[in-house]
Amino acid sequence: MSEPIAASVLTLNNVEVVYDYVSLAIKGVSLDVPEGGMVALLGANGAGKSTTLKSISGLLAAERGEVRRGDVRFRGQAIGALMPQDRVRLGIAHVLEGRRVFEHLTPSENLIAASALHSRQDMSRNMEMVYSYFPRLHERRATPAGYLSGGEQQMLAIGRALMTQPKLLMLDEPSLGLAPFLVAEIFQILSRINREEGLSILLVEQNAIAALEIVSHGYLIESGRIVMHDSAEALKRNPDIQEFYLGGAENKNFRDIKHYRRRKRWLT
Amino acid sequence: MLYRKAGIFHTDYAADRALFPIPADRWTIGLLLLIAATAPLYMNSLYLSSYLLPWLVWTAATLGLNLILGWAGQFHLGYAAVMGIGAYAAVHAVRTGIPWEIAIVLAGFTAAVIGIGFAFAALRVKGLYLALSTLALQFVMDWTISHVQAISGGTQATLQAPDIRLLGIPITSDAGLYYIALVWCLLVTSFMLNLKRTALGRALVAVREKDYAAAVIGVNSFYFKMVAFATSSFIGGVTGAILIGTFYHAVTPEQFSVDVSIQALAMVIVGGLGSIIGSYFGAAFILLMPGVMNSFISWLANLLGLSLSLETLAHLPQALYGALIIVFLLVEPLGLGKIYNNIRDYLLVWPFGYVKK
Amino acid sequence: MDALLLLESAINGALVGLMYALVAMGIVLIYKSSSVPNLAQGSMTMLGAYVVLAFANNAGAPMWLAIPLGIVTMFFVGIGIERVALRRLAGRPIIMILMMTLGLEIFLRAGTMTIWGGTARPMPIGISDAPLFLGPLLINRAYAVGAAIAIVMFVLFVAFFRTRLGVVLRAISDDYTAAWSVGISVERGVALSWAMSAVMATIAGVLWSSVQGADQSLALLLLKGITVAVLGGMDSLGGALLASILLGVVEGVASSVLDPMIGGASRELVDAAMLILTIMIRPHGLFGRHDIERV
Repeated sequence: MSEPIAASVLTLNNVEVVYDYVSLAIKGVSLDVPEGGMVALLGANGAGKSTTLKSISGLLAAERGEVRRGDVRFRGQAIGALMPQDRVRLGIAHVLEGRRVFEHLTPSENLIAASALHSRQDMSRNMEMVYSYFPRLHERRATPAGYLSGGEQQMLAIGRALMTQPKLLMLDEPSLGLAPFLVAEIFQILSRINREEGLSILLVEQNAIAALEIVSHGYLIESGRIVMHDSAEALKRNPDIQEFYLGGAENKNFRDIKHYRRRKRWLT
Repeated sequence: MLYRKAGIFHTDYAADRALFPIPADRWTIGLLLLIAATAPLYMNSLYLSSYLLPWLVWTAATLGLNLILGWAGQFHLGYAAVMGIGAYAAVHAVRTGIPWEIAIVLAGFTAAVIGIGFAFAALRVKGLYLALSTLALQFVMDWTISHVQAISGGTQATLQAPDIRLLGIPITSDAGLYYIALVWCLLVTSFMLNLKRTALGRALVAVREKDYAAAVIGVNSFYFKMVAFATSSFIGGVTGAILIGTFYHAVTPEQFSVDVSIQALAMVIVGGLGSIIGSYFGAAFILLMPGVMNSFISWLANLLGLSLSLETLAHLPQALYGALIIVFLLVEPLGLGKIYNNIRDYLLVWPFGYVKK
Repeated sequence: MDALLLLESAINGALVGLMYALVAMGIVLIYKSSSVPNLAQGSMTMLGAYVVLAFANNAGAPMWLAIPLGIVTMFFVGIGIERVALRRLAGRPIIMILMMTLGLEIFLRAGTMTIWGGTARPMPIGISDAPLFLGPLLINRAYAVGAAIAIVMFVLFVAFFRTRLGVVLRAISDDYTAAWSVGISVERGVALSWAMSAVMATIAGVLWSSVQGADQSLALLLLKGITVAVLGGMDSLGGALLASILLGVVEGVASSVLDPMIGGASRELVDAAMLILTIMIRPHGLFGRHDIERV
């Protein structure tokens, strides 16, 4: 992966992130999001998913982290040295883990705050677009965002990211703490946005079943390393993935196997 | 070099827990103690009583404040008030005929009792709110001292401090007063040095780092905060009494106003939070800086042929002092103590810089 | 005690209180955006007054011009303070930040004295000394003007926080990281709040020195300002406004009742008592929204 592929909107090449000068959070992550594509980054707790996203959106600095090695390219341009707001300007939007809406602002003010980089016309057009994808937000546009339900807050967080007119939308665990039917609804809207707006999406998820339903490709990250990369279909069929991430051991009798002895094949 | 220690070679716990594990440090300290003890023999009595003595007393105060700020991590904007309480208590005690040795202990206890009042604020809030409530208490103390005639002898009044008598012998010579300050400063220093080896010291550090984390491992953070405030106030009270007895010889409320609290705070910050050697540096720096600055500025003004007004000369050192606090916080937030440690750590393995301790 | 006299001191107290709000709102603006308690607000007030005086006396500008010039200058001074002193301290422990604002307080106060000297100077802004009569009550005209301006400033700020830029500032005060994630330049927002706060300080400085003359004691307004800000909840402008009235009334009444009894200077005592009581009983103030870290 020396030359970025022309059709990819985002390329990570061997990225290494260190927090506080000592703790190595991700070690050599390479991934690639095609233009208009929808890619999932799967992994367990602490695997380095969020760190990867922060290295792309530039929010590492706020947590005393830095990209030590490797480069992050957005549409062929190295963005390692840019401030977060400049990356947003380029078209990278990051929906933070745990929603993080502006709680004391109403949904419409949340959307206004997020269009700091845009003109008034763009703002009202984007706002209409967000409200058309998330009609629920329009209904509750005047309630302080802190009082919205979890699902509505997640919609607001996504809508807020859309206000920046991104080319690449990165979502950090949008399913966190939501009821399954809400997860389905939100994921459905995401794939609609992907189709209709031609927006590339990088989805970070623990909920691999739901994520693999809507993406075309998936990366698997474990202890800060990408250990597997394939199409969504292939990943779903992979027995290791089934067992460790999709809970696919339903037809197994746990009495018969020594489950805990089982090694992940990619570790060998 | 002088230091030369390329590894840790302790063979028993006693060696590991020694205050000064490096021989060179022990030699240095011995030498410094010798210099300090013989200072009156070779030092001009003006220097002795107007530089060395206040430096030692203020170092003791800085150490006391450092106990709260650096060890227990609690903000204290009213340390001067605590010192003032001690000073007034001692002066009044001596005037009623109590021997001076007992009076300063009384001063310490009075300050400790009132200092616990400050602690009650610390038990409820921290950070900004603690800073503000200690500041408010400082004002209440100022007001009480200056408005209650029984304490201050009336508004704008100056209360003459009786001469210090140790075991009935009046001590009036500069050397005698200097030794009192020296002994007190050394006492406080050795207390602070040993503090980090005790359960109390470790508990305080635990409370500073995260009080509820300390609480879940069984450190009663309420109790230890209270102890920290009481101990530090005791040190402050005695130091206040000694400051009056050996240096000012008279006590007025202005000697312990909020500016003085800030000055003590600056000594701690410039010296370094939680650093003992830093407290010496910080006190020296803040005490000597205005004088040095004044002479430097007049020298510079002469050189450049400028005539500075008296007003400018009066305020410029103060402005530079504020600027210094800002610069220290930006450049080396851990103060002079940290700078000293960096140099020392470098020399420790010099010239083998690649050897890690 | 004469009821009418009490009412008079209450009303004048409320007006003085509203003038404290000018200082307190500056503190609130900065605390809201960056959680930095600005202990230098008093010296900024003093500096603002002296800058205006410098334009008026040294440069010879008429007062109506000197005040806007002073405001513009202080706007950039505020930005400069944030840029040089505070930005690098982001994320440091509160002890360091408090110490920094204390250092700034000393530096600005003494620096102002160094440049302009310590003698009190008059600030003639054309308010006559004649009192206003409200029925049988005597109202101090200068206080009334100051109070009116404080209310106007409050209304302006409320309106400002509904504009796009104002919403962005509120977003910053809600969540730094989230603000970064949607392309808001948090640093610039914080700098702007320092600038606005410096502007408030200038206005407060001009009004206060028109009452008492410009001198070092303007820096002591910090105590009133911070008491009002804490009582109002540190991050609520409306809270600051109401708290200022409350403090002013209590101060006014208390000083007219207590002063004869204890021989003056009861105002400082009332302030300190209000501050301590607020912190002990209701640390988040009347309208504060953040949860205070209670031990």
